[in-house]
Amino acid sequence: MTGVVSALLEAWQELRINKTRILLALVGVALSVAALTSVVGVGNLAREGLTANSERNGGRSATLGVGVYGPTAPDAATLTAAYQAMVARYGIDYYTSVDQAENGFQFPTGVRRVQLQVVDPGYGTIHRLTLEQGGWFTAGDETRLAPAVVVNEAFYNLAGRPNLTTNPGVGILGAGPATAVIIGVVPDDWEQAPPSAFILSAAAAAADIPLSGSGQFKFWVGQEQAEPLKAAIASDLQAQFPGMHIQVDRADYASQGDPFAVVQLAVGGIAGLVLLLGAVGMLNISMVTVRYRVREIGIRRSFGASSHRIFVGVMMESVVATAFAGVLGVMVAVAVVKNPWVEKTIAPGLSTYPPFPVDAALLGLGSAVLVGALAGAVPALVAVRVKVIDAIRF
Amino acid sequence: MAEELIDLAGVTRSVLLPDDQELHILRGITLSICSGDHTAIIGRSGCGKSTLLNLLGLLDLPTAGELTFMGVPARQLSGNARARLRGSSVGFVFQQFNLLPGRSALENVVTPLMYATGRDFWKRRELAMDMLDRVGLSHRAGTHPALLSGGEQQRVAIARALVRRPRLILADEPTGALDVDTGQAVMALLDTVATESGAALVTITHDVNVAALARSCYRLDQGVLSALSVPAAATA
Repeated sequence: MTGVVSALLEAWQELRINKTRILLALVGVALSVAALTSVVGVGNLAREGLTANSERNGGRSATLGVGVYGPTAPDAATLTAAYQAMVARYGIDYYTSVDQAENGFQFPTGVRRVQLQVVDPGYGTIHRLTLEQGGWFTAGDETRLAPAVVVNEAFYNLAGRPNLTTNPGVGILGAGPATAVIIGVVPDDWEQAPPSAFILSAAAAAADIPLSGSGQFKFWVGQEQAEPLKAAIASDLQAQFPGMHIQVDRADYASQGDPFAVVQLAVGGIAGLVLLLGAVGMLNISMVTVRYRVREIGIRRSFGASSHRIFVGVMMESVVATAFAGVLGVMVAVAVVKNPWVEKTIAPGLSTYPPFPVDAALLGLGSAVLVGALAGAVPALVAVRVKVIDAIRF
Repeated sequence: MAEELIDLAGVTRSVLLPDDQELHILRGITLSICSGDHTAIIGRSGCGKSTLLNLLGLLDLPTAGELTFMGVPARQLSGNARARLRGSSVGFVFQQFNLLPGRSALENVVTPLMYATGRDFWKRRELAMDMLDRVGLSHRAGTHPALLSGGEQQRVAIARALVRRPRLILADEPTGALDVDTGQAVMALLDTVATESGAALVTITHDVNVAALARSCYRLDQGVLSALSVPAAATA
């Protein structure tokens, strides 16, 4: 116990006495730890942003996108029945049809064409949608006489940002004019995004909104079930729609691999090299310092310091110093990664940002301590070999 | 009856030269030192005084012969065991003071206690302050060595050597860097503190006046140790 405490005290005392020299040596270590930690932190943030964005567009892991295509479009009712049969057969809890449409809406400032996503209530769960106001569709919304819509911020702004508790209406133009009720607001996908809205399939049909016809069906299934289900669904549909092209693909982000892995590895590698250079600088200074401290080491040996204690003492100086630099580096990295501008730039799709990743902080600190141990081991070995009486007379 | 601290019986120390010739630095040294002794060893430069100091302080082992420290043959002790025994039982005073730069007088005196355990470690600052007080330098505790006079530096070095209450004090040319008056004052202090604590004091010197202060005296000449009467030491 006293050995550990006194070795730490000794190391701290040495750092205090040689603070200017050591601080200069540690600048490189602190900067490279900051770079390494920031790379991991920013990579994590970017991945979170991409995941959120991808889930919003493609669905959660694992989402299967299913489509039936041919020279002539298959009968919509038959296709929907086939999909429903699939849901029942494979016990799929979350599913949705997805199609596109464009329709005119009457706003206080005039009529605007609006992009519509025609979906089922399961879409919200599959795409992990977060709403800024109101709520997502429920099964009951399918039977509303006034169709419900979930709109984006741009749409909501055009509608005059009404209070959602008052069931605000907005006119749908077309063959069967109706008034839609805004029940929820989602954030814009990007700045200056055009107005868009979600509407349920049943409501779109009731309002006579023409669909693009290139829609598909999405199933959210377990990761390990994805591949077997792909084959089974394709086979079932092919049997029902002979001569048609059946497409069953993973639509989610996880199926594409990690697009940041290579970049993160490359930048991490560069940061690692910088850290290595910092370690070499630290080693160089430690070696010079040990030569300069030969007499002191001899004096300490004469007071009863064992060779083991001298080794640990010299190495601890390096480890304590780099650990200190590591803490500073991690603090800089946290300040960089948690900077609101950086967060918004790296992950514009996120509405709430994840906390700074603990593994990045531990990686930075661990690297710093490792560098300290490596840079301290060589001079510590030199220090142990000092001949006491020669050192005292040095 | 005084306890025997260290005993050298027919101790020889030699080194192998690059041309494979053996150089005998010490030959057949026989010496016994008991608690409370004040022994001086005089000799010219290069006669083997430092090598003998290394052996007495357990910094080195003899090539032949037997060295017993507090009843334990030194050869039976590992390097770490010798270091521990040295830390707890031997205090060194050097010619050039060898105070650690960048540290105050108090921090220098604390240094040996960093290798102690138990109460000595946890109460190190109080013990160091007491020892500085005993050498009359408590008012200079926060001063760095560069701002102390030669005599003050040697008194700090003495406080540092004695702070762990060693059984054996080894002083290597303790007055070599001091003027005559300051040297005498330092030797008087060393003798007083050693006598008060019952420690043995071994002074290695080439100064016959310093040697004359000891109660027993030896001459080391070409690696051979011979006893001198104290009056003879004054004229040696």
